[in-house]
Amino acid sequence: MSSMVPYILYVLFASGGAAIYLAMPKPSGSQRQAALILGVSVIAGLMGLMSMHFVAPNSNNLFFYLFAGVAVLAAGRVVTHPEPTYSAVYFALVILSVAVLLVIQRAEFLAVALIIIYAGAILVTYAFVIMLAQQSGAVATNTQAREPMMAILVSFVIAGAIAGKIEQLDAVPVRLQGQAVTQATDVADTVATLDENDSRSGHTRAIGSLMFGPYLIVVELSGILLLIAMVGAIAISRKQVPIEDTGEPRLPVGQIGREAPPF
Amino acid sequence: MLSWLENQAVFSAVLSLLLIGGIMTSVAYCIYFERKISAWIQDRQGPNRVGFLGLFGNFHFWGLGQPLADGAKFLLKEDIIPSRVDKPLFILAPAISMVIALIGFVVIPWGGFYMLGDTLLSVQVANPDVGLLYVLGVGSMGVYGVVLGGWASNNKYSMYGAVRATAQMLSYEIPMGIAILIVVLACGELRLEEIVAGQVGGNGLWNIVLHPVAFLILLITLFAETNRAPFDLAEAEQELVGGFHTEYSAMKFAMFFLGEYVHMITGSAFICVLFLGGWELSFFGIGPAFPGTGIEDTGLISVLIKIGVLSVKVAFFIFLFMLVRWTLPRFRFDQLMRLAWKGLIPISLGLLILTVLGVYMGWQRSVIYNLGGEIAIVAATLGVVVLANKPVSGRQENMPALGQPLGG
Repeated sequence: MSSMVPYILYVLFASGGAAIYLAMPKPSGSQRQAALILGVSVIAGLMGLMSMHFVAPNSNNLFFYLFAGVAVLAAGRVVTHPEPTYSAVYFALVILSVAVLLVIQRAEFLAVALIIIYAGAILVTYAFVIMLAQQSGAVATNTQAREPMMAILVSFVIAGAIAGKIEQLDAVPVRLQGQAVTQATDVADTVATLDENDSRSGHTRAIGSLMFGPYLIVVELSGILLLIAMVGAIAISRKQVPIEDTGEPRLPVGQIGREAPPF
Repeated sequence: MLSWLENQAVFSAVLSLLLIGGIMTSVAYCIYFERKISAWIQDRQGPNRVGFLGLFGNFHFWGLGQPLADGAKFLLKEDIIPSRVDKPLFILAPAISMVIALIGFVVIPWGGFYMLGDTLLSVQVANPDVGLLYVLGVGSMGVYGVVLGGWASNNKYSMYGAVRATAQMLSYEIPMGIAILIVVLACGELRLEEIVAGQVGGNGLWNIVLHPVAFLILLITLFAETNRAPFDLAEAEQELVGGFHTEYSAMKFAMFFLGEYVHMITGSAFICVLFLGGWELSFFGIGPAFPGTGIEDTGLISVLIKIGVLSVKVAFFIFLFMLVRWTLPRFRFDQLMRLAWKGLIPISLGLLILTVLGVYMGWQRSVIYNLGGEIAIVAATLGVVVLANKPVSGRQENMPALGQPLGG
């Protein structure tokens, strides 16, 4: 049975790719019914595989299965929905579901940071741009996806390969055994070693100690990289707007708007 | 009798039900008091007709029945969904707006701890490791309701309102986050209960004494985050009809406003917890604490006193919100952006560096260091503005210099 698992995984991922392809907006209309049935059965198959191979669903990991399913379905809608605004909303749903998964793993800091950064800042900016870009409703280019076949092939081959490899790692079933969702072991160890006396402080302090301890240079470098990127973005986006010469003499400062002719 | 309550999960569930009930009622009465206060400021009477079904003859109870009548009216009015709107998002938007405002409540510590039987219960629905960041995260989601509602309405005015709201909230989240970060640095804690405990008793001053400028920045950004005047450009009636809620009617319209008022209450409670000692009552933490409001008091009466103290502080801030709304005129959009990017963000960054330095040197509880530094930073920022001698707004660039005759 266990030697069959990678092949079952590959079949499931291939079917998942087919479901996404069916759901893609096409000029001939997408087969959404078939896509939905196929997609849900793929998710159910993946979950069944997980529950058989790793750990059965119980009251502790019920929320994991629930929100993992929501996240995958919403992610499918992000790429297949013809309206960009809806894609953004579904992406927010993905972010929230993943945040719930992180909370289940007791990585509260990561969950909240994910919400603040992605859902709160980046996605709102996306929504802003999308809304400004198309105020006149759906455009024709939305009705067909560009190169759906290649994109789906590449992404699902990568996803299938990663899943197959993860399945082969010995450590994973061991770590997942008995407890559906393990703690992030490294962080948990760090908490234990750093704050033996102060158990209340939790993971946030441990993450801080890691980031500003062993990984200080990496954090500083990425901060500088982001700063450079920001300066670059400002430099690129600033354009010299030529002032149109209408031929009329410009009024001296202080007289603009004061020379209106009487009624 | 109450042994079934001796469990934090059960207690939290009961508490959250009580909170939702209490908060929805206070929101209804907030609207009543907003109308009364605006009437008071404008020298009118305000709502004074609706009593309780004439049960008490001709006595109207100062119109205290008005919220009930308003609620009934909102529920019974025709709920119009215009035909060209994006229907799913149009319906979703007010719901998002209200839900996001409501879930911020769970981390506010309302009354310290309650000893029931042998169990020490926290009078707080949830106490996650990241309480403060949770409030920030929920607050940053708050813009979705406005943006989706404005876009789905398929109306230019709504769209402008949504765009303004987005730009405003994104800009004001930065000084807000930095002001909160200052408190986190000074307290070394992310749990709201611990932040309150740090301001209580002999060991703590209220944070407002140590960081008055950060308090002011947080207060200003809170006005912006709740879309209240003078930051209510998203619903500027004179320019945008109703802004993002132009197309909304009946209960959907009401839900946007319930969300706004709930957001006000959450924000006020949050600012009380961060800067005003939460449920503690003493003179800025300097004088002796009011009996029953110490960290070691866990009886039922002291919990009730603590809840009462926090409620009075929250009520004060809501009164301030209303007073400001009916007193100050609205900002122009460039003034709004200038205030955030050229005023609040530089000042708050300076404060952040000051606080980091203070924590590093071990001076984070020194009033002289914090106050002196904050005054110096504000003075320096104002000095730069004065020395640069740039006009404050675009309109002033076109104005003649002082003393010059108009039309030169």
